[in-house]
Amino acid sequence: MPASPQGSPPSLSTPRPHIEVEGLELYYGSVPAVRGVNFNVMPGEQLTLLGPSGCGKTTTLRAVAGLEQPTAGEIRIDGLPVFSSARKINVRAEKRGLSMVFQSYAIWPHMTVFDNVAYGLQVRKVGGPEIKDKVDRALEMVQMREFGGRRASQLSGGQQQRVALARAFVFQPSVLLFDEPLSNLDAKLRADMRIELRDLQHRLGITSLYVTHDLEEALAMSDRIVVMRDGLVEQTGTPDEIYSLPHSEFVADFIGSANLIRGHHRPDLDCDGLTALETATGQLIYGMAYGRKAGPEMTVSVRTVHLRISQERPAGERNVWPVKIEKTVFQGDFSQIHLYWGDQRLVARCAAMEPIAAGRDVYMAVEPRRVVLLSPGNR
Amino acid sequence: MGSWFSAQKVAGYGVAAIAAVLVLYPVYFLLQAAFDVGDPQIRPPTAYGLDNFSSLLQYPQIMLNTLMVSLAATVMALMFGSLMAWILTRTNVPGRRLFEQLMAVPYYLTPLLGALAWSLLGQPESGFINGIWRAFGGEGHLIDINTPYGIAWVMALFEGSVAFVMIAALMKSMDPSLEEASQVIGASRIRTIMQITLPLVTPGILGAAIFVFAEMLGSFAVALVLGLPTRYYVITTAIYQMIQQYPPKIQVAAAMGASLFAVMWAMLYAYRRVVISGSYVTITGKAFRPRLLDVGRLRYVLLSICLLYLFVAVILPLGTLFFASLQKIAVVFPTAENFTLDNFRTAMAMNAVRSALSNSLLLAFGTATIGIVLMGLLAWLIYRSRLPGSGLIEYIVMFPQAVPRLVFAFGLMWAWVVFPIPIYATLWLLLIAYLTVFLPLGVRTIAGVILQIDKSLEECAQMCGASWAFRARTVTIPLLRPGLVAAWLLLFIASVRELGASILLMGPHSKVITPSIVESWFGTSSELTAALALIQTLVVALAIIVLVVVTRRVGALSVD
Repeated sequence: MPASPQGSPPSLSTPRPHIEVEGLELYYGSVPAVRGVNFNVMPGEQLTLLGPSGCGKTTTLRAVAGLEQPTAGEIRIDGLPVFSSARKINVRAEKRGLSMVFQSYAIWPHMTVFDNVAYGLQVRKVGGPEIKDKVDRALEMVQMREFGGRRASQLSGGQQQRVALARAFVFQPSVLLFDEPLSNLDAKLRADMRIELRDLQHRLGITSLYVTHDLEEALAMSDRIVVMRDGLVEQTGTPDEIYSLPHSEFVADFIGSANLIRGHHRPDLDCDGLTALETATGQLIYGMAYGRKAGPEMTVSVRTVHLRISQERPAGERNVWPVKIEKTVFQGDFSQIHLYWGDQRLVARCAAMEPIAAGRDVYMAVEPRRVVLLSPGNR
Repeated sequence: MGSWFSAQKVAGYGVAAIAAVLVLYPVYFLLQAAFDVGDPQIRPPTAYGLDNFSSLLQYPQIMLNTLMVSLAATVMALMFGSLMAWILTRTNVPGRRLFEQLMAVPYYLTPLLGALAWSLLGQPESGFINGIWRAFGGEGHLIDINTPYGIAWVMALFEGSVAFVMIAALMKSMDPSLEEASQVIGASRIRTIMQITLPLVTPGILGAAIFVFAEMLGSFAVALVLGLPTRYYVITTAIYQMIQQYPPKIQVAAAMGASLFAVMWAMLYAYRRVVISGSYVTITGKAFRPRLLDVGRLRYVLLSICLLYLFVAVILPLGTLFFASLQKIAVVFPTAENFTLDNFRTAMAMNAVRSALSNSLLLAFGTATIGIVLMGLLAWLIYRSRLPGSGLIEYIVMFPQAVPRLVFAFGLMWAWVVFPIPIYATLWLLLIAYLTVFLPLGVRTIAGVILQIDKSLEECAQMCGASWAFRARTVTIPLLRPGLVAAWLLLFIASVRELGASILLMGPHSKVITPSIVESWFGTSSELTAALALIQTLVVALAIIVLVVVTRRVGALSVD
């Protein structure tokens, strides 16, 4: 292939990211909240910052919004820096052309629903008839049209949430930021709103940066997920990648329930592209490295749903073991089975079945591709 | 492209600088005078030293008096406060809501009015109570209000309301499940009170005790009215006396003021420590619905205690002043021809009074209006802007809390006498004094409103693209408006009743009403003074009615 003398030209196939966050650091005094975060959001993409409370996800979002001033790093929107510590640029929040849905909804109590939604248009000096038209259409989209004349105090939580949403997108911002917008709703409403939000985001085709600590929400709503921990990015990927191929023990543990198995590498037993791990008590398990480097000491992650339990010994040689049932906990749609694998305790999640008596000897099997090698040094 | 340094920051630090100058400039001059051991006629001082402080040892009686009165008043205030707080927050006494609101009335009546009324009631010779005592065959006098305990009694009644407020808040904010848990385990009611309730509230009550004691140390009006006739001085009245006498003992007074201020500062520091370290009582701001104790028949006994308290702290003083103001010579059993309206006529006709009253109203209007802008900006700066150094600004702004207003005014007087702009002995100086001494009151009131309003309401407007000015106009100020109006009225009321600072700073042509009432008490007749005090009370009462109506509206518009 002939090498291009000018190096590769600005790529036309991949569009420029809509939001770029580079080396973002934010300290409150000497306390670090964000310690060097990098990610991009592509146009029209929904990217979710996911992590436990205190991991810096909300701080990162607020820094993108312009509500917090970072200590270091650079944030670009449409290629233009809105914050840069090196170039001493800090564009004020109201000048960044973004919009945001707040966790508390922040519906102004002294205004009607209509006035709340119209605010962003009034700021932009849109004419009266056009305001009415746009506000009505926005309220229509969130099914709140008939509530225009009400005050915030007369709305339920779900209704306030819809108003907050309409207010955020009515003036056609280029980017929507969401700060845990569903966390104050009850479980059922949250599940409905999740789908509605996703639909709306697709219809509007708007770039979204979304913050949540709720795993299901993140998996259901995102194009890509950035898992954060202690002010750092732990892993970035599609929901499927994050779920199926966790990078570290933290991600494996935080994203759904996983069994973590530690042991040492037995390169002599590696075969068929599988990596062999032997636990301290001599149990042998085959897994896949997915391009990660297997050190002498290693850890694999197996999702609880991928462990299969059977009374009869299943066919196949690898990754089949006799195990002893410790107890079975019925949880409705599934049963959680605690079992002894040698002297290590594992948890398997099976679709609801006849409860197996404690102490019974059964068989456990797992496909090697479900046994995921974690990167070394990422505890 | 925005800039790294915003105009907002510049404006913020500008306001903070004004506040710092207001507070620190007089404190500097107070300390300068306290350490000035040179010729008192020459300024700036020619020599510095500690002689003024060591000369304080010549006044052991004043220190002893102060300690005794403050201690007695604190003990009484705590007793009244905790008893009333317990009755009104934890028992099913009838009319709790109403009584709880009425508990603030003695405070609004002012310690000065309380002292005047109780002086009429309890002087050993001419006091009404002693008159009745003798009419029923008693000998000598039943009570003597011109004693340390009399002074402490009036201070506790009229300045001790804060003890009730603090202890009631404490009892309300205690999670009832803490006590219920004890009872469920099987502990008796008494055991629960002894082992759960009391240990939980002890740090809070200790905190209240320290706070009230500090306040009593700086108390002025009651000791002035009730102590001066028998030359019983506490530290504040002694300072006043030293400044007013000829030749004035400015330097010793300054040393006394500086010491008092140091002690009060230490007390308030201790208060904060106690409150912070003893915070295992859940003062989360979350109001629990306290479990009410069904006290059965006892509730009528408790009701009469409440009624008795209101009687001695509100009805009796007001009735006494009214009764006295309608007489030519105030006696307990007047004849028909002794009744007259002349006192009110004289009061309204006196030029001095009319100008004092209109000066007071003018000043109160100015203080409230300028104060609301200054203190509103400061409150926003401290609690919302997160500018670096806002903690220090808060510290400076709350500083006057630890300094008796009389001592502060002394510093101001001393500072402005040498200031090139001739505002000494004018209303301008009083305006500056009021704006300074009411900084903690105003900032705290407005901060209370600001903190109630979720920050994201402002941030959301910002995210909608609104500029600072547009946000302020459409979101921040409309949301704050009811609170700002309430704060305006509070400042107005506080200014009209102000005594400690005004009495030192008002000039012959800039009289204000409260010190004029004191002058009238010592200079003219008690009957005329009673009429003056009632007129002032009426003005304050009108303002309070407006205040209540406004705060009702705030409540109606409360933000969830």
